Amino acid sequence: MPVYNFKRIGPVPSAPDLVDIVLMRTQRKTPTVVHPGYKISRIRSFYMRKIKFTQQTISERLGNIIQDFPRLNDIHPFYADLCNTLYDRDHYKLALGQLNAAKGLVEQISRDMIRMVKYGDSLYRCKCLKRAALGRMCTVLKRQKASLAYLEEVRKHLSRLPALDPNTRTLLLCGLPNVGKSSFLNKVTRGNVEVQPYAFTTKSLFVGHCDYKYLRWQVIDTPGILDHPLEERNTIEMQSIIALAHLTCAVLYIMDISEHCGYTIEQQCRLFQGIKPLFANKQLIVVVNKVDQQPWETLEAEKREMIESVVKMGGGNCTLMPMSNITEHGVSQVKNAACEKLLEARVDARVASNKIDSVMNRLQVFQPQPRDNVQREAFIPESVKKQLEEDGGRPKPQKSRTGYAPTVDDPEADGDATMGDAAVKKTARDLMWENGGPGVWAPDYRAIYDLKEDEWKFDSIPEIIDGKNIADFVDPDIENRLAALELEEEQALKELEAANMENPEESDLESEEEAAVMAIRDRKKTIRLMKNTNKTNNRPMMPREFRGRAKDKHDPGARNKNEIEKRMEDLGVDASKMIERGRSLDREAARKRGRSRNRRDEDDATMEDAEPMDDDGQSKTKRKKARREREESRKRDPSVNKRTHNKPQTLEKKGLNEDTKATAKKMERKGRKGWAGGAGEGDNRKGVHLVKWMNTGKKRNGTHYCR
Amino acid sequence: MPQHEHMERHFKLHGRRMDAPERERKKEARLAHKRSEFSQKVHGIRAKLYHQRRYKEKATMRKTIAQHRERANQHANDEAVAEGALPAYLLDREGVSRAKVLSNTIKQKRKEKAGKWEVPIPKVKPVADDEMFKVQRTGTRKQKAWKRVVTKCTFVGDNFTRKNPKYERFIRPSGLRMKRANVTHPELKTTFQLDIIGVKKNPSSQLYTNLGVMTKGTVIEVNVSELGLVTTSGKVAWAKFAQVTNNPELDGCVNAVLLV
Ligand SMILES: Nc1nc2c(ncn2[C@@H]2O[C@H](COP(=O)(O)OP(=O)(O)OP(=O)(O)O)[C@@H](O)[C@H]2O)c(=O)[nH]1
Ligand SMILES: [Mg+2]
Repeated sequence: MPVYNFKRIGPVPSAPDLVDIVLMRTQRKTPTVVHPGYKISRIRSFYMRKIKFTQQTISERLGNIIQDFPRLNDIHPFYADLCNTLYDRDHYKLALGQLNAAKGLVEQISRDMIRMVKYGDSLYRCKCLKRAALGRMCTVLKRQKASLAYLEEVRKHLSRLPALDPNTRTLLLCGLPNVGKSSFLNKVTRGNVEVQPYAFTTKSLFVGHCDYKYLRWQVIDTPGILDHPLEERNTIEMQSIIALAHLTCAVLYIMDISEHCGYTIEQQCRLFQGIKPLFANKQLIVVVNKVDQQPWETLEAEKREMIESVVKMGGGNCTLMPMSNITEHGVSQVKNAACEKLLEARVDARVASNKIDSVMNRLQVFQPQPRDNVQREAFIPESVKKQLEEDGGRPKPQKSRTGYAPTVDDPEADGDATMGDAAVKKTARDLMWENGGPGVWAPDYRAIYDLKEDEWKFDSIPEIIDGKNIADFVDPDIENRLAALELEEEQALKELEAANMENPEESDLESEEEAAVMAIRDRKKTIRLMKNTNKTNNRPMMPREFRGRAKDKHDPGARNKNEIEKRMEDLGVDASKMIERGRSLDREAARKRGRSRNRRDEDDATMEDAEPMDDDGQSKTKRKKARREREESRKRDPSVNKRTHNKPQTLEKKGLNEDTKATAKKMERKGRKGWAGGAGEGDNRKGVHLVKWMNTGKKRNGTHYCR
Repeated sequence: MPQHEHMERHFKLHGRRMDAPERERKKEARLAHKRSEFSQKVHGIRAKLYHQRRYKEKATMRKTIAQHRERANQHANDEAVAEGALPAYLLDREGVSRAKVLSNTIKQKRKEKAGKWEVPIPKVKPVADDEMFKVQRTGTRKQKAWKRVVTKCTFVGDNFTRKNPKYERFIRPSGLRMKRANVTHPELKTTFQLDIIGVKKNPSSQLYTNLGVMTKGTVIEVNVSELGLVTTSGKVAWAKFAQVTNNPELDGCVNAVLLV
């Protein structure tokens, strides 16, 4: 259920103010320094940023206004109608619609102008375009002067509307002007509404709250309504009509039988008939007010009949009650009756609604069946019974007096005393109060010690006897017990072992193999342990893809054939196939990469160097050729033997040409600034520097600050 | 809880603090000093705007004061001769005033006639080629320089299709193409946004006219069918000439005066 709080709408600035706000913000939040010598792309983006930023600010501002104001279609019909009469629905919608249109226009302008700036070929031209763009946006805003002013007024008024909840328990006061509606509200709530002896004192809805049956009730005071057709009603009266029409509530129709209000009883009855359709499905009470001036009993018979006929016309749930605000006769009765009626109706409605099923499904009321005809009454001790008889059937309420000192002339305290100590047990607290209160007397807890012999209770216990602390000898045979415990544990262990021995694990492994398995398992365990201890993964992880194969890079042995063989042998695996496969993969990859012939040879050479064994995949001639080339290459440059991928790759090695190399070098030189995400001119950074006027000259007698 | 006019209600019930009117009076009296202080201190654009506003306020103030004093003010008496003093045979003379009206109409007519041949901006600064066009280098090695990009706003017809890049000598960027112009009717003193139909004459060069370039002083043809203008022969005019009065490439829009 939405809560209607129109106080939260932000203030709407006037059009010139809005223009100021927007332009100032642009000035403050965008870079301000640009020179004709800058690169044209930089100049363009400088001005484009200004245009875009202004547009964003305007859109945000207008968007907030549009968002904040309630949409008349979405809010409770009571509020929708109230807004309609108070602010005129069409006007309201038009104003918001115009703001929306303005927002669209501004966006359009910014789009167009930014497109133009993209073709700007000089600072002057870009600047002119920016100026034109901001000017056009501001013109659009200026045109919204009337809408903004109107919305600001609406906001002010909305925020002062009483916080009225259309769905809660509500009592509604209505009647002709000056009959005493506001007086009643002031009597039952703390509403503090103006009361004056002339008509139309109250010109809008007022709300007060009161309590009944520990529930919060909302009492609404409405402006007086006159008896004429709906079309002729003015804004003030329409508010009452709307409240009557849209709120589910108990209505108190207040009549002035003294006719001091300036309207006859007949007129008041006619108004009742006039607005009777609005009372349908509502709890209605006709309240005859000002009975201090004109008592109901002494009213002329025909007038009384008139009123009674009106009450009868009101239907079954309409009652008549006399009341006077001055003498407060009947005020609370009227309130209670109205609340009671409404509460009943609300509960009925709840029960009748289909929502109740979901609750009722979960409720089940059990009535225990009588098992036999034996009466089982509550057990009341004899003493209590006797006392009840003495007190004349009513038990005396035992007043809890925790924390309160009994006064001397306390009648109840006397009563307790006469009853005797047998009936009431004296508590430690009572004793405390008797003996001078807290701080003076405290209960002796030794009295409640649970010892073998009662006379031991108050024995004094020394801390040290014979130069020894008695706390050390609390348990004299603690050593024996410890020994017994240890013995027990040993026993248990032995038993466990024996149990294990009885059924040893069936294994089809030889003892040697078993040892190996154990060794492997041990190693695995240690590896896992090491890994877990070193695994403090409290940093961002780079995906493998980008990280590269770190292991290969830093561990020269990782791809060394001998190393691999050794390690695999350790694990008991034949490595020859693995190496073969790896090499063929490598070769394939090399072919694909299309490396220079030289590099490919080099790789192959090292491969063969490392492992002079038969190449199944290659023909004899090929092999020969390869060997020859290898020899040649060795002659040429012995250093190529080294694995190249261990060295950090230089720019040349990456296969970059001169052009890209230059840019790469530049990027390196520029460092972070060269990045796309680096700081730009839009980043508002103020370096630390010495401010001249603060750091030169005299620094005495205030001259330093006053300059 | 405060509802509606709670401030006023509070004043009504409890009154205001006793020196409230005094404070208000003083505040008002101090206002002049505050203003003066501010106007002496303020500088830059804020000062300019502030003084503009103050100037306007003062002007209206002076006017209202003059209005209040109207009865006391001394006016020059237009009617030198009292009415009753005129002899009866001179009463139906109109004399000078009529002649004046006539001459006025003649002048007006002349003006209008002259207006037909005159344009609002008679002298236009010619736009040089190198200002108008930017060289676009083409070819794989960017060694060719025969292409030109128009740097000013242009009008390009609806059904225009670009030529094959091989033959396209002049490029008119789509970001700088304009479709509508804000046209002011000089007599009605109102402005309409009208569709451009074509560029009639760019005074700088025939080439620009052909390309549809709009610079200051260019005569364009606009669609005035919405205005419901009628020609002397009674037909509805649907297109009229207008002269561009601003630099569209600097303002992002085309402003023009209707040539009537
Ligand atoms: N004698 C008498 N006067 C009352 C009683 N109730 C209200 N009045 C007087 O009636 C006058 C009008 O009371 P309001 O409470 O302002 O009446 P209202 O119905 O709120 O009037 P509007 O707000 O103008 O519609 C005041 O002068 C009250 O003092 C009453 O029970 N007895
Ligand atoms: Mg009232």
